[in-house]
Amino acid sequence: MPPQGGEARRGSGRRSEADRAGQVPWSIIYYRATDGTVPALNFLRECPSTLDAQFAAVLDAVAAAPPPQFSGGGKWEAMHGVMSGFYEIRLSGPRREQFRLFCLLENGTREELARRGLQRPAIAVITGMRKPWRTTFSDGDYRRVRELGTEHQQNHPRRIGT
Amino acid sequence: MTVQMVDVSLHERRRADRMQDPEYRAAYERAARELAQTDAVIRELDSLRIDLGISKAELARRVNRNASSVRRLFTASQTRPELPLIIALADALGAEVRVVPRAAKARQDTRDRSRQRRVTTAV
Repeated sequence: MPPQGGEARRGSGRRSEADRAGQVPWSIIYYRATDGTVPALNFLRECPSTLDAQFAAVLDAVAAAPPPQFSGGGKWEAMHGVMSGFYEIRLSGPRREQFRLFCLLENGTREELARRGLQRPAIAVITGMRKPWRTTFSDGDYRRVRELGTEHQQNHPRRIGT
Repeated sequence: MTVQMVDVSLHERRRADRMQDPEYRAAYERAARELAQTDAVIRELDSLRIDLGISKAELARRVNRNASSVRRLFTASQTRPELPLIIALADALGAEVRVVPRAAKARQDTRDRSRQRRVTTAV
């Protein structure tokens, strides 16, 4: 099941906290699973150091100028279809191996953000995956990402890596 | 009602820790420069478009693209902006894309600051 679009998407008609706050940088948070692991951090630890750094740079750029502004240098992309509501950071590594980091946006009214335990809007980093060049992730791969996203969005307040 | 706020500092603490690694730091700084330049080009084009009062649809028409491709470009829902499109948009907005050596830009920035100081002093 895809993440609940009402939480993940913008444009609900009500002014979001980000809109009211203007250019306040968003927070960057990492989903923590029920077993205590943080899937995105486990993924980043397995990445080459230079790619770990690039992921951080993209996250920081987007957090500083969040959607709908253009930011992320073309490496941050809204996903579509069954992954609608997710954003991904796309990087290429050695031997053109493809690295992806999957994120959700945490935005809403002040009350809604408070219900999630957030003082300001945030980018929630859910998990990451890698694949050889010219291969695709399977439907099962994407389903697992969506399941983590859904689980993340069911937590009030959010359960995140600290 | 007491609201329980979560600790959102992990990313910053982790980045600060990882920056101790020279290889990580160099990669982060290089990536940040590249991202900033790409973002600046796209935002500058969008600012020009707004200043000229041209809609995204109209701009798309002027460069023979469909409106959605231009809209996606300005809202970060498309990765890897294509250089030919960037150049076409700049041209349609009466601008051009240039590559400026960083050293030359630094000299220009210094001259601009000196000129600004002289103007301020004169006032």
